[in-house]
Amino acid sequence: MSTLYNQFVSVIERQISPLAGRLGQQKYVQAIRDGFIAALPFMIIGSFMLVFIFPPFSPETQWGFARAWLDFSAKYQPQLLLPFQLSMGLMTLFISVGIGASLARQNDLDPVTTGLLCLMAFLLVAAPLKDGAISMQYLSGQGIFTALLTAIYAAEVYAWLKRNNITIKLPPQVPTGVARSFEVLIPVLVIILTLHPLNLLIESATGMILPEAIMSLVKPLVAASDSLPAMLLAVLLCQILWFAGIHGALIVTGIMNPFWMANLAANQAAMAAGQALPHIFLQGFWDHYLLIGGVGSTLPLAFLLLRSKAAHLRSIGKMGIVPGLFNINEPILFGAPIVMNPVFFLPFLLVPMINATLAWFAVDMGLVARVMSLTPWTTPGPIGASWAANWAISPLLLSLFCMFTAAAMYYPFLKAYERTLLKQEEADEQESPTLAAVPAR
Amino acid sequence: MKKIMLCCSSGMSTSLLVKKMQEEALKRGLETEIRAYGASEFDVQMPNYQVVLLGPQVKYMQQDLQQKASQHGVPVDVINMMDYGMQRGDRVLDHALSLIR
Repeated sequence: MSTLYNQFVSVIERQISPLAGRLGQQKYVQAIRDGFIAALPFMIIGSFMLVFIFPPFSPETQWGFARAWLDFSAKYQPQLLLPFQLSMGLMTLFISVGIGASLARQNDLDPVTTGLLCLMAFLLVAAPLKDGAISMQYLSGQGIFTALLTAIYAAEVYAWLKRNNITIKLPPQVPTGVARSFEVLIPVLVIILTLHPLNLLIESATGMILPEAIMSLVKPLVAASDSLPAMLLAVLLCQILWFAGIHGALIVTGIMNPFWMANLAANQAAMAAGQALPHIFLQGFWDHYLLIGGVGSTLPLAFLLLRSKAAHLRSIGKMGIVPGLFNINEPILFGAPIVMNPVFFLPFLLVPMINATLAWFAVDMGLVARVMSLTPWTTPGPIGASWAANWAISPLLLSLFCMFTAAAMYYPFLKAYERTLLKQEEADEQESPTLAAVPAR
Repeated sequence: MKKIMLCCSSGMSTSLLVKKMQEEALKRGLETEIRAYGASEFDVQMPNYQVVLLGPQVKYMQQDLQQKASQHGVPVDVINMMDYGMQRGDRVLDHALSLIR
């Protein structure tokens, strides 16, 4: 067992960690992550609006307050829907600008100009215009992969033109401010002259515009991302990386985000159309069932630490409990420690995987409501779970249940670790009289 | 005035430590500016500081970030895991000060 563990750790250290490091630092992975972070507030508040339109009450309820709310939201649905449609429903626009700004920072370009270039590049291929109105079909989840590609393309074109000094040359007498006003004309022109014909070409060849074509290409992948095996793989990778002390969630969520957004938009569209929600594994599921208190669901462990017999673990519990409520658990991971601590290897890997499986079946069987809203990852687990599912009660119960299973699974390992620590503390105490005598001399 | 920057993925867990380090600096009567930032703000903020310490969970970024910081003569190091976990403001402050030339 111990040699197997050692082999495992050495594989993580020598192969997986450097690979994860390179992936996490990869320019585009970083830009996509930054793009989502920039768009997040608009999407969180936008999807929060849905609760006003779809109040969390049964449509048959006779309770006065709920009845009034239901009637109000039915009557004013188009008006209530507008803020949602123009924030969450346009997520790709915010993401495009965010990715552009991030790539600008990485390439030493002007963030505003680059962001706007990326926005134009995306609109050019994804917003078909008819009778003075542009279609919103591809401006939400359906266009997400296109937005990533057009943003990267536009920013790279701008960077390349700038690197190679391809710009409108003016005599040196022209003031620099005037010269700069011409500088961005070339990238705009190049992007229009390349993307627009490409889109027309694809449309005439396949009958689909670019975002439609891209979506049909990645469709199998998007569908596969919402499955139990994909989720278990994602969480296993995240746990292994974190066990090695690497911020694995950053890398895994960076990759999952586009898939989660596409599927979240599909759930919201189904909700608006009054249909059953198709997808289970979304960001709200990940954050509030698998990462309660941070990676490894350590909030229940923090409560156990508070009552530990070992002084060291008690002090870690005290330090970790409040940040843990908001899903920040570095004090516990590095302090207990859990990172690279063989005692915690098994529960740290298994707790989120077992909870993932339990939660998956609970949701799949219809016992628990599905995710349809975006939440900040720092929301305390059970509250976040309920918020993510339009304030249903069942997700709150499931999240609490996941905390109990996590506590039960961590408990025996914690006890074993506590025994070793207690022995050490005892040994230290026996030594301390002699140690104390040294400075007194 | 000693200017110390802490950096992790989103600047949240390092911000816990900032408070502990500030308390320690106050105790020692040191004039300091200590702030935590997310990795995406590194390029913009780093030139304003004399030293950058990374949370151990983003150790893998050290090489890349050090490369950028070297142009400004700013050392980038990783906080010791145990000190980070135990939130030892005193030890991390010592570490930061030892890197400032």
